Amino acid sequence: MDFYYGMAQIVGVHTLLGLSAYIVLLTGQVSLAQAGFFAIGAYAAGMLTVLAGWHLVPALGVGGLAGAVTACAVGFPALRVKGLMLVIATLAFGEGVRIFFFNFDYQIARGDITIGPLGGEGFRQIRFFPENGWTTAEVMFFIWVFVIIVMLVLWWFDRSRYGAVLRAVGEDEVAAQSVGINLTAVKVSSMTIGGAIAGLGGGLYAHYTTHIEHSSFNVLVATFAIAYPIVGGLSNVLGTLLAVIFVQVFLVEGLRFLGDWRNLLFGALIVLAMNLRPHGLLDAQALARVRRLFGKDRGA
Amino acid sequence: MLDFLQAVLDGMLFGATYALIGIGFTLVFGVMHKINMAYAAASIGGAYCGLLILQVMAGASPWLVFLCAFASGGLIGYLVYLACFHFIPLSSPLATLMSTVGMLLLIDEIIVHATEGRALGYPAVFDDVMLRAGEFSLRGDLLLVFGVSVLCMAVLLFLLYKTRLGLATRAVSQQPVAAQLCGIRVTRVNAVTFVITGLLGGIAGAMIGASVGALSPLLTVPLTVKGLIVTVIGGLGSIPGAIVAGLLVGAFENAFQVLRGVTERDLYVMLLLFAFLIFRPGGLFAPKGGGG
Amino acid sequence: MLELQQASRHFGGVRAVDALDLKVGESEIVGLIGPNGSGKSTTVNLVTGLFPPTSGRILYRGQDLAGVPVHRRLGLGIARTFQSIRLFGHLTVWQNLWVAQNSPEDRARKGFFPRWLGGSAGVRGEIGELLEFAGLAHKQDELAANLAFGEQRRLEVARALATRPKLLLLDEPAAGMNAEEVGQLRERILKLRGRGVTILLVEHVMELVMGVTDRIAVLNFGQKIAEGTPAAIQADPVVRRAYLGGEAA
Repeated sequence: MDFYYGMAQIVGVHTLLGLSAYIVLLTGQVSLAQAGFFAIGAYAAGMLTVLAGWHLVPALGVGGLAGAVTACAVGFPALRVKGLMLVIATLAFGEGVRIFFFNFDYQIARGDITIGPLGGEGFRQIRFFPENGWTTAEVMFFIWVFVIIVMLVLWWFDRSRYGAVLRAVGEDEVAAQSVGINLTAVKVSSMTIGGAIAGLGGGLYAHYTTHIEHSSFNVLVATFAIAYPIVGGLSNVLGTLLAVIFVQVFLVEGLRFLGDWRNLLFGALIVLAMNLRPHGLLDAQALARVRRLFGKDRGA
Repeated sequence: MLDFLQAVLDGMLFGATYALIGIGFTLVFGVMHKINMAYAAASIGGAYCGLLILQVMAGASPWLVFLCAFASGGLIGYLVYLACFHFIPLSSPLATLMSTVGMLLLIDEIIVHATEGRALGYPAVFDDVMLRAGEFSLRGDLLLVFGVSVLCMAVLLFLLYKTRLGLATRAVSQQPVAAQLCGIRVTRVNAVTFVITGLLGGIAGAMIGASVGALSPLLTVPLTVKGLIVTVIGGLGSIPGAIVAGLLVGAFENAFQVLRGVTERDLYVMLLLFAFLIFRPGGLFAPKGGGG
Repeated sequence: MLELQQASRHFGGVRAVDALDLKVGESEIVGLIGPNGSGKSTTVNLVTGLFPPTSGRILYRGQDLAGVPVHRRLGLGIARTFQSIRLFGHLTVWQNLWVAQNSPEDRARKGFFPRWLGGSAGVRGEIGELLEFAGLAHKQDELAANLAFGEQRRLEVARALATRPKLLLLDEPAAGMNAEEVGQLRERILKLRGRGVTILLVEHVMELVMGVTDRIAVLNFGQKIAEGTPAAIQADPVVRRAYLGGEAA
């Protein structure tokens, strides 16, 4: 049973990662920087619980805040860079964050051992959960409370004017401007919210894995972040969740058949998915069909 | 001071490989307005395939290895085209971008598994030769890398500007619809572009292996990032830009390695990118024809 | 309401708009015609602020528009439609109108949170009215990309109206319409004037221009070559020569 709880933890955190990219993608910005915000949240929250003895919840809050602030700072220069250049710039930023943590030392003495992040070695002994007697199931529920809250918030955005405005900007910036939409406010706000979600996810990640290092936040993770919403389809938050489950289940099943080669699956899976369903698993057409099935009212 | 300049010179010579990778990215962007994120990985993959010839013919000359890498690069380039661009409608840019990222991961994993994650030695040529130019030494193998890269660039420029294929390619990059109406088979031009950049990439990968003396799967992501940085600094779509930027990044990288050490070196290359993005987002040169 | 004083816009060596003097008074409907490439769309882009004039001034209600960004001009009451339809294809008809409610009146009316994060109940009335005006009430949940061409054009005008403009620039709204649709468009433009909107109509379709405008200005190669009532323009030999001996559209 613990295995499935662990699986659910991974799905939960990856969903947060995917959702952080989702909201940015709605505005048409493809950001490979989400792994960087994820890392910042992870280190920030970890350092607060381990080095400063904070309780997890406020530490997560600070992690999310750190992600948000960094994302906001990135959001402004990102405005000057269009399309594919943004992909490259955010990729470089994410790698820059990773290299920063590769060189980052902050150790304090605790008794006769030192704890804290140590460059390439990473940040070990983030033991808030074990030290406070949390079971695997409890950790899983804790993570999922946050995932569900974030999903509800984003789902609410999607039904509100803000969501429609985000998508309008993603569709046609010139038209959006000409009906009075403030592009700067929209793009930077979505980037900031994405950063907050990623920071929160990173904080949760640091605590359930108990050991983070620079390579936990590499290009692969940045790719996962945008892969989930793209593969899942940008019409709905559920698409991202679906994609996470789809990918992780395949990876887990792949472990059974292919053993060590299962990582091969991820790349192949993406290539296959994009060829078969270029607009994502849950694209607008599929969503319309599902809606008709349930007789739901669309839009307003 | 002398050491510093020597490092800059060495870096510049090595930078010719970055230039080739940058050209590969920029050429695909210029023709299809898409980034092939798998390009650097495919180039390293091609270089690895070059080693296969040693399985068949132990003790084969390094030139044969390079040739095999060259050919493999082209083949892999074509496969990437098929997997990522042939079937996916070009009107879904996110889908093509994502599929090239998928290919990048796939190629990376294939390399890791085929080599069990270990670095493999790569044949070098002229690595025991050292020329002297005044106060500076020029490593023989680096000179070869530089020379081969320059040769490739020259051949590419010849192809683009003196042949009908090159003309068709430039036409497609400027006006794909009009080009089609003139009877140019756009899919064929796209596929050929991938093959040509693949060939270039195979050589670039081989040259990187030759000058470092070894190949490792850890090279793929940093090379992707650096290649993209070169492309952006040079100007998306500009081949002369990629050439100059490649040499610049190579020199810059080595300079900072001397000043701040290997672990921090890459951070400074990023900063160079960000500086360009802030002050000169168009890159060094304006894009050719219909770029951006 | 709107005044261009010696406004020019050069693109490198090309003089898209050359020393244009144009006045549009309040509640007037002024037409802007000319052969292809005469600078009509560029003029619209200058007024909306897509790019600044190379020289000259653009005054709106007496205020110089230099340096005022695009989205701020909207706040002042300037709205436009596009020659090539630029709807938000993946949004519904309703959402296309909803995202356009950015006028100062709309901003002032509701608080920040209700406006952005609230549901659509509060604006059902106004958007409903716009839908009626455009004849699209039955299609409010349809994706804009799935509408017929004529419906898309109507939505584009309705969307511009959602911004509560005082000056509306219509860029070839009748392109591709049949005679009946042109007639309906004419009715709708007159209704707009009744609501207090000033209109600058850029158009090729002569039935519309002659039938709905108070005054017409004619451009050729970026310069104004004639101005007057529809009847005067129709009789003007300079204008006829500019169109190279044929009536456009």
